[in-house]
Amino acid sequence: MTSLTLKRLSLFALPLAAVAGLNSAAQAQEWTPSSSIEFVAPANPGGGWDTLVRTMSRVIQQEGLADESFAAINVPGGGGAVAWAQVARDEGNPHKLFATSPPMILVPLAGASRYDHTDFTPVARINTDYSIILVAADSDYQDLDDLLTALKEDPSLSVGGGSAPGSMDHIAIAGLASAAGIEASAVNYIPFSGGGDAMTNLMGGHIEAVVGGAGEAVGQLGEGSQLRALGVSSEERLGGGLSEVPTYQEQGFDYTFDIWRGVMGAPNMPEEAVAYYEDLFAEMLETDAWREASDQLGWIDAYQNSEEFGAFLDQQQDQFSDVLNELGLLRQ
Amino acid sequence: MDAFNNLMYGFGIALEPINIAYVFGGVFAGTIIGMLPGLGPISALALMIPITFAMEPSSGLILMAGVYYGAIFGGSTSSILLNAPGVAGTVATSFDGYPMAKKGLAGKALAIAAYSSFVGGTVSVIFLMLIAPLLSKVAVSFGPSEYFALMVLGLTAVVSLSDKSLVKGLIAAVVGVIISIVGIDMQTGTERFTFDSVQLLDGIDFLVVALGIFALAEVFYMLLRGGGGKEAPRNAIGSLKLTRSEVKEIAGPVGRSSVLGFFTGVLPGAGATIGSFLGYSMEKRIAKDGDTFGQGNIKGVAAPEAANNAACTGSFVPLLTLGVPGSGTTAVLLGALLVMGVNPGPMMLEQRPDVFWGVVASMYIGNIFLLVLNLPLIPLIAKILDLPRPLLLSLILIFCMIGVYGMSFSIFDLLLLLGFGLVGLGMRLFGFPAAPLILALILGNIMEESLRRALQISGGDWMTFIDKPISLGLLVIALLSLTLPLFKKRLKKKVAPDVAN
Repeated sequence: MTSLTLKRLSLFALPLAAVAGLNSAAQAQEWTPSSSIEFVAPANPGGGWDTLVRTMSRVIQQEGLADESFAAINVPGGGGAVAWAQVARDEGNPHKLFATSPPMILVPLAGASRYDHTDFTPVARINTDYSIILVAADSDYQDLDDLLTALKEDPSLSVGGGSAPGSMDHIAIAGLASAAGIEASAVNYIPFSGGGDAMTNLMGGHIEAVVGGAGEAVGQLGEGSQLRALGVSSEERLGGGLSEVPTYQEQGFDYTFDIWRGVMGAPNMPEEAVAYYEDLFAEMLETDAWREASDQLGWIDAYQNSEEFGAFLDQQQDQFSDVLNELGLLRQ
Repeated sequence: MDAFNNLMYGFGIALEPINIAYVFGGVFAGTIIGMLPGLGPISALALMIPITFAMEPSSGLILMAGVYYGAIFGGSTSSILLNAPGVAGTVATSFDGYPMAKKGLAGKALAIAAYSSFVGGTVSVIFLMLIAPLLSKVAVSFGPSEYFALMVLGLTAVVSLSDKSLVKGLIAAVVGVIISIVGIDMQTGTERFTFDSVQLLDGIDFLVVALGIFALAEVFYMLLRGGGGKEAPRNAIGSLKLTRSEVKEIAGPVGRSSVLGFFTGVLPGAGATIGSFLGYSMEKRIAKDGDTFGQGNIKGVAAPEAANNAACTGSFVPLLTLGVPGSGTTAVLLGALLVMGVNPGPMMLEQRPDVFWGVVASMYIGNIFLLVLNLPLIPLIAKILDLPRPLLLSLILIFCMIGVYGMSFSIFDLLLLLGFGLVGLGMRLFGFPAAPLILALILGNIMEESLRRALQISGGDWMTFIDKPISLGLLVIALLSLTLPLFKKRLKKKVAPDVAN
């Protein structure tokens, strides 16, 4: 269900913006957008990609960082594949961006998208979230070792997650299991229709543990909570409500997992345009409005420019294809 | 009287002039959004996040909640007048609402929908106020086994929804299940019935099917049968007034469906659509004149309307007491609350009582606004039926197409809509009932996922459905509801000859 009005607004803004752009852009050395920017969230409103797109657009507009507006557009379908297919047809268009995260690597590896990350132009990595392991507050598992030992002895113990097999949450727990010497494919991963769904099932005692996003879980922890966190996948402890939660590495399991979020653009986007967006987003990350929004949403800045982000994506692809291969879910 | 004091505190917030304005603005916008097929509360709420960002959290939620229940309230209008459900939760309303409109009783149908929605909304707010914290336990007590059992119980309604031929009803239900599993399978990541089409990977949107099979099929049917549109002039609106006996008749269904709807809403993963179907099929079975359901029985309008509004309020229980969204709409609400700096969850009642009680109190006010707003509008809106036939048909067509296109901006979905319109026409011509297909479409996917999840957790042991008291209870009720009518028939047969003698 897409944002009808925003789409309309952006259509309306296009001709106006084009006229305005004629005067300035021609002489300037540096590239600046000549029309409003279509910023695509490859999913329905409400999810992680959508929140990133809308928050970025809002901060950029509020702080007056860009002359042209960023119009948030939802293109749901196929876990992102529908939007990717659409953007891929727009080769060289400097006014088309989309939000991205690990599914950009995972969905193509699972064989569910014709296009993978190499078909698009990396623009910048923006921030990251981490994976977290939760159990019920009255559970016997006191730390990660308890849980993983139990899993080793009885692989039928159910671990819930909010995404399909072979996608983020599954990879996060499978990778951890593998680092703990358990066969990744032996984990009894139960996919639920969302992180919230998985957590309700944990509260009701229907499953043993849940793997999910730390940002999503933070509201469920703290005083009076029915859930307890056993560990986070970051390299160092996180701040705020999660400062008490030890990392996997602290507990002797050498494994980290990033739920990174970033921005990519149409294939072969001109270099000058990429440079413009790199600077714009770096500037955006410095603003108070961004700081405030990130704190509320539990995001941690993790900026990388286009080149670094591209290399990072290649490295993620290698890492994920190993885990998927172990799980028998690699289809590419 | 703790709840009373809290409620007074809540009214203190909800009755601030600015918040009254937000409630009114919210329910008004919601009514309009609900009336337009396709444009649902999810996209409207997502659009509002930037607007509510700077507001007080209680005001923001009051406004957004108003849009949500306003949309469910308004959705019945297009279901009744055009056979085109405005939102998914009002599909069941069209089963009897549209036949009533065709009989010239549109005004009465709309009035019943408004009164029932009001009662459903208000009764459920009382529940929300009194027992929300206790209900969070009910919400989490439903795991995969329990959901499976609930879906089985829901599906037994196919029997009562298949008017004349049970076989045709079952065929329609199987087709509905097949449509519901199109797309990537959640459990294995396998693509099913997608025919290598990217557009089908996420499955087929429920509203595309509902609009096709109901609204578009109706248009086609009228074109086929209608000739030049020279049918007798209809008494398009009819009276809005209910007689005393009619009020008496719908009081029971409205009361029962309000309670049933509320508890369905409390379960994350069920919600207004399932609630309205359960309410409808329950009343059809209970009613003495159950066989006239589907031909314009007023109870068939009252029950789903009370249930869907109650379920909408019920869905705030898991959101506010657990911090877990039970539906797409409440997921957007959760996101909005987080952005406003409120963490819904077990601690919210203590940390942010202003948000919880303010919203609860605003719902009382909002429901009154909706009733007062909608009743005088009925004669105006129902005028749409006075339009000449060709104009009306084109209007329905355009509404459906805009609605479907507006959901995803996809031409493919428009073709699907057309396809389902033709399927719906075929079903009407050959006497296949549409309701079982729609019911199976809603329940099929959840039933299958719950079944497989439950078995995956239990390690393949089917006893999991019988070991758990809730799931066992639901399965027993399902079994009884299938077998009792048989016994009744037998009894009747035995009795009948005696009478003849």
